[in-house]
Amino acid sequence: MPKIEVSAKALYKYMGKKVTGQEFIDLIQCAKAELDEEDGDTLKIELNDTNRPDLWSTAGFGRLLKLYLGGKIPEYPFFSRKGDIKDNGGREVHVDPSIKDYRPYEVCFMVKGKEGISEEGLKDIIQTQEKLCWNYGRKRKSIAMGVFRSDMLKFPLKYYAADPDKTKFAPLGFEEKMTLRQILEKHPKGIEFGHIIKDFPAYPYITDCDGNTLSMPPVINSNESGAVEVGDKNLVVEITGTDMPSLVLSASIVACDLYDSGFEVLPVKVVYPYDTPFGRELTIPYYFQEPVTVDVAYVNKLLGEKFTADEAAEYCQKMGSRTKVEGDIITVYPPEYRNDFLHSVDAIEDIMIGRNLKNFVPEMPSDFTKGKISDESQFGRQVKNIMVGLGYQEMTYCYLGSAKDFIQKMNITPEKVVQIANPMSENFEFVRPSVLPCLLNSESISSNAVYPHNIFEIGKIALINPEENYGVSTINALGFLSADKDTTFNTLNSQITALFYYIGAEYTLREAEDPRFITGRCAKVISGGKEVGIMGEINPVVLENWGIQVPCAACELNLDIILADKQK
Amino acid sequence: MEIDIKNLHPLEIKVLLNYKGDEITAEQIGSQLGFESQSNQIFSWLSGKELIKEKSRTLRTIYELTELGAEYKAKGTPAERILALVKEKGAMSLPEIAQALGLENKDVGTAFGQLSKEGILAMDAEKKASVKNGEPSASMKAVRALLEKGNQILDSDLSDDEKKAMATVSKKRGAAAAPFKVIEREDLVYEFTQAGLDAKKMLQDKGVTGDEIGVLTPEMLKKGDWKGKAFRSYNVNTPPARLIIGRHNPYTVFLDSIKDKLVSLGFEEYDGPLVEAEFWNCDALFMPQFHAARDIHDVYHVKTPTMAKEIEQPYLDRVAEVHKNGWTTGSRGWGYEFDRNFTKRLILRSQGTVLSAKQLHKANIPGKYFGIARCFRYDKVDATHLSDFYQTEGIVLGKDVNMKTLLGLLKMFAVEFAGATEVMYVPGYFPFTEPSVEIHVKHPVLGWIELGGAGIFRPEVTKPMNVDVPVLAWGIGIDRMALMSLGLNDLRELFSPDIENVRLRRSK
Repeated sequence: MPKIEVSAKALYKYMGKKVTGQEFIDLIQCAKAELDEEDGDTLKIELNDTNRPDLWSTAGFGRLLKLYLGGKIPEYPFFSRKGDIKDNGGREVHVDPSIKDYRPYEVCFMVKGKEGISEEGLKDIIQTQEKLCWNYGRKRKSIAMGVFRSDMLKFPLKYYAADPDKTKFAPLGFEEKMTLRQILEKHPKGIEFGHIIKDFPAYPYITDCDGNTLSMPPVINSNESGAVEVGDKNLVVEITGTDMPSLVLSASIVACDLYDSGFEVLPVKVVYPYDTPFGRELTIPYYFQEPVTVDVAYVNKLLGEKFTADEAAEYCQKMGSRTKVEGDIITVYPPEYRNDFLHSVDAIEDIMIGRNLKNFVPEMPSDFTKGKISDESQFGRQVKNIMVGLGYQEMTYCYLGSAKDFIQKMNITPEKVVQIANPMSENFEFVRPSVLPCLLNSESISSNAVYPHNIFEIGKIALINPEENYGVSTINALGFLSADKDTTFNTLNSQITALFYYIGAEYTLREAEDPRFITGRCAKVISGGKEVGIMGEINPVVLENWGIQVPCAACELNLDIILADKQK
Repeated sequence: MEIDIKNLHPLEIKVLLNYKGDEITAEQIGSQLGFESQSNQIFSWLSGKELIKEKSRTLRTIYELTELGAEYKAKGTPAERILALVKEKGAMSLPEIAQALGLENKDVGTAFGQLSKEGILAMDAEKKASVKNGEPSASMKAVRALLEKGNQILDSDLSDDEKKAMATVSKKRGAAAAPFKVIEREDLVYEFTQAGLDAKKMLQDKGVTGDEIGVLTPEMLKKGDWKGKAFRSYNVNTPPARLIIGRHNPYTVFLDSIKDKLVSLGFEEYDGPLVEAEFWNCDALFMPQFHAARDIHDVYHVKTPTMAKEIEQPYLDRVAEVHKNGWTTGSRGWGYEFDRNFTKRLILRSQGTVLSAKQLHKANIPGKYFGIARCFRYDKVDATHLSDFYQTEGIVLGKDVNMKTLLGLLKMFAVEFAGATEVMYVPGYFPFTEPSVEIHVKHPVLGWIELGGAGIFRPEVTKPMNVDVPVLAWGIGIDRMALMSLGLNDLRELFSPDIENVRLRRSK
């Protein structure tokens, strides 16, 4: 979830009103936002909706608050639309066929300010760029944006795939020229983002018509045109990536933000030698969003209200959309900077927020349904009660653990143990294949507790099983362990007898070999003709591995098989 | 001092009842009550309770006749026997004497030395002992008198001369070699304290004798011996021994109580495997495959096997279409080519909503379902984050459910699960619900907390699963309530392996 920092002063300017305290906290709920921290003029805001990148800037956030407070829907006259292409003033970007297979799309526009960009404005545009590229553009993989000093550049710009070893430029923050490949190896941003293009035979590259470098997207800008400073009046914004609609939307968001902060937006035409979702020639900023229609009956069905179509449309407008009402049908035109209407339900949520949740009166669902605990839980409870009757303390354990605990100390081989491919720590790298290591871990840290120790858990274990669709079986298992100076095989056997008697199942023991148990004092538990578990005295090798100095006997049962057998 | 006569042992009672205030000694209660061997114990109990106090203490020396002494008394001392033999048989060499009397040479030598020194016998020219004076000396007479005096002789009963004689024939240790053993004994004399006298009076008033029945045995019940007898009263305030009992874990008790509440509200429980395919964990929930939340560092991937063998049809085809163009759901979809390999990737279940997604196509309408599911997250483990933990989630399907009934349901949860006094709803965001809300509640102790999130499942989620009615989906965070209910403040404690820790933990 993106977090942004905004200047309260700047935000109030965009809102057209100063709102503070609890009133502010309540107001920003319309943006699904929370105030994390307030430090003087700086507000730290958390934004929960990952489909609303337009809110991740001071201008965009302020725009919605202004609308919600009753402001008028703003006009952005510089947008081209289908059949209404704005004059690009001769500004063009030429996309070369060489880039098609690597990072095929690029969009671009220019802004011109009467005054130079302020420090705050620069900070805000850098923040917008970071949030867009990081949270919406998958860490620059699908969206990367650069801002350039327009005065140093001459249109048309050229976007192509460049030879990584023959092409050189001085990247931002460096005076000397390096090859593209060297930048990937040496520049901090090259190290951070180089992986996105490293394996391509040629790297994405943008120059002006004289061959002056703008950038090597998505990695780094040039140290010349890319070094934007406070006071710069004319800027070029260009965005490259892999998904055309999100590039065009990103350009729209930044253009609206800059327009709201006082810049004039000058369109740029991008010319492709291949097809894009919006054709081979595209003038940016471009309004590409499709309207959604919603029947007021559907609105009322989902919201449980009795709005008229006009009322619903009015609530929708409060969130920035223009609407048209024809009978019961509301057509919603998303604002220029939004593209999050995938379905009419998205418009319905806007209607709900526009109406304000405080105005919805909770009602109880009236359908009668029969509640039921699962058979597994029910059986688990029965078994638990018997174990408690046998004097056992129930435990609850984490399911993740280390190779050391789950495999090595248990004296077993690892083939059936589910391993995590991307563990965060070796302490949580495996899913437990058995409850027994958890019980022994308890024992190993509890020598101070009064004996006897009788502990158990009913929980899930996972084992690799090629017969399953997922290749892994999840099993509801009971594990129990008794530790005391005179605990033996027979102690457990008596308890198993009691347990099986009360759950109403038969069992027999079959002598077994298992490296976790003492040979000759270990048995498989057989019930209903199937192997349902294992029991015996824990091998002193295992006890020593755990640092346990009291004899232990333990048992593990597969409750799923026993239950299935009972249900027959 | 407050005296509770229930704390008195029968022996203490007997002593208290049988003596007057002036003097009590171990000898008295030994000889009169027959408690010889327990006397010290009784005195220690009584003085511990401050019912008696020491009055005086005297050191006594006693000479006890040993076995050797008894033999001397009967047969005579070596000196007496040698004198008698020589008088009867005439002069004899010392070895001859030893042989005749059955004595050791060295003992004969010692005794003869004494006899010769006192001028009773003498050694003649033939190196034979012969009679000289022939009369027993004063010291011999004195020893004889001591031997005849009794088995135990008090030092205080002896005259100074007798004491001198006794010193020659008594030893403190190695008593077998001397006719008398020296025993030093301390005589303690006790008297009752005022509390002791009070206790005695209380015993007398209540008619306690010390003969009351202590343990009621099966024997007594069989024979009826208990009839007509009183039972010794117990002190009900004596601290009992600690018991280690079998017990449910308070955390699972808490989770079970949540389950029971949901069942009472008409919810049916569902469950599922720990390892899931990305399809159910994310794709079926309309989370696009390019979504940031699906990056490698947000879920745990299984190392082997990496892929499910297959994904259930027709759901796979439908979901793939939904992502691409919305299928028939009325959505435009995410507009990308769905990756059918990626969707098979195996992960550790990261959200309980998986269970809801899988329940949809087999759910009843109307229907209510819930699950408390163990989920796994790529998180650093600390007091507020765990790598595996429980999520509580559920769905409500029905022709007439809507946002207002969802709010009603959430309000009931707020009261049932959190004891909330106030409830607030705010717009929320979840990839699979639209509209979405969050519920914040005012908890009596914790103040305002976020209880959970909810919403109406997107048609992109429900339609591919053959569900055409609105589906309310909710998830509530109960961990903080669990911690509070158990008096803990660290999530790791919920899964504590420490036995003593868990044993001592109470549920509310």
